[in-house]
Amino acid sequence: MNKILSVFTIWILSNKNLIAAEAGMPQLDPTYWASQAFWLIIIFSSIYFLISKIFIPKIKNSIDSRENKIRKDIEEASVLKENAEKKLKEYDHLIKTAKIEAKKIIFESRKTLNESMEVKKKQIEKEIEKEIQNAESEIEKFKINSVHKTGVIAEEIASNLIENIFGEELNKSSMSATISETMKGYKN
Amino acid sequence: MATNPMHQFNVHKIGPEIEINGIDISFTNASFFMLLSALLIIVFLVFGTREKKLVPTKIQLISEVLYNFISKMISDTAGKKAKPYFPFIFTLFIFILICNMIGMLPYSFTVTSHIIVTLTFAIFIFIGVTILGFVIHGFKYLKIFVPSGVPILLLPIITIIEIISYLSRPVSLSVRLFANMMAGHTMLKVFGGFVISLGLIGGWLPLTFSVALTGLEILVAFLQAYVFAILTCIYLNDALNLHH
Repeated sequence: MNKILSVFTIWILSNKNLIAAEAGMPQLDPTYWASQAFWLIIIFSSIYFLISKIFIPKIKNSIDSRENKIRKDIEEASVLKENAEKKLKEYDHLIKTAKIEAKKIIFESRKTLNESMEVKKKQIEKEIEKEIQNAESEIEKFKINSVHKTGVIAEEIASNLIENIFGEELNKSSMSATISETMKGYKN
Repeated sequence: MATNPMHQFNVHKIGPEIEINGIDISFTNASFFMLLSALLIIVFLVFGTREKKLVPTKIQLISEVLYNFISKMISDTAGKKAKPYFPFIFTLFIFILICNMIGMLPYSFTVTSHIIVTLTFAIFIFIGVTILGFVIHGFKYLKIFVPSGVPILLLPIITIIEIISYLSRPVSLSVRLFANMMAGHTMLKVFGGFVISLGLIGGWLPLTFSVALTGLEILVAFLQAYVFAILTCIYLNDALNLHH
């Protein structure tokens, strides 16, 4: 600034004849000072009133409405986000309970299956046992029968032999007693 | 005419002579350029506020950026209490800015290069701020001349310095703008004259200077409008929040 001013003053001093012609700086000529101040005050105050009464409220209104819109949108977005999070939680909860239920169902069905299998098994085992018992009793019967039959066969054979050898019939009761005695000896 | 760099600052009458109580208040070229700046501002603001779109149009965006810029400047320097003076600072800044910028056009007249114009602004601001200070703080406003935390021996000197600096506010405020505008425009004119006088051979150097200076002057035009507005904010801050 100072440099500019000094250059300027030196220039002015070196052109003294010009200054003489123009009577120096027009700024310092008071002829139109009143006019300039007057028109400045008139024009400046009129645009001041226009700006403060019309334009600034308009600009402020525009900026405020934009900010309001943005704030509202952000609020709405946060509400939506909250809702979404709530829904997600609900969903998680549902999934969790469903999983627990599924586990329960699997457990129960396995249990019932096992139980019914057990029952069936027992039934089958019982049947098998019965069959075995039946078979055993039959075998026992058969055994007893076969023992008796062998006794009778032995008696017959013995009487036949004796008849063939001795040519006479023996007393049946005595023979059967002897046979049973010998058979007891074998049995043991 | 073209040879005298001061010629551009001449004020001359346009139209009839208007006189009130013997004071000449005729419409001059200075008044014409003030009016032109005012009309330009109004046209700009009319177009800037015509639409109220959520996504602003270009001119709407400029007006809103300007609003936010000045609003931030005021709240940064003078705090929340300065809110009622926002329209004044806004008008002041935009008016000085447009006047300076119109002055950058060739053959135009720079309103703010006249001391009487800047002095009118500065004296109005000075008186307004002083009245505001006394209205808000009463006689406590005189504390502005007595900074706290100064040794008692230095206090009289400091107080005198503070009073002088306070009283020189309108002078410094007005001369800063006026001298900047005048010096810049004179420089441009001088270099322009050199281009002619040095002719086709030597005229290229001052021409490049001229181009560079034009860029600088546009910067100065913005900067001085900003400085004027921000100093007004600082003076306003002194009156609103008594810090001393």
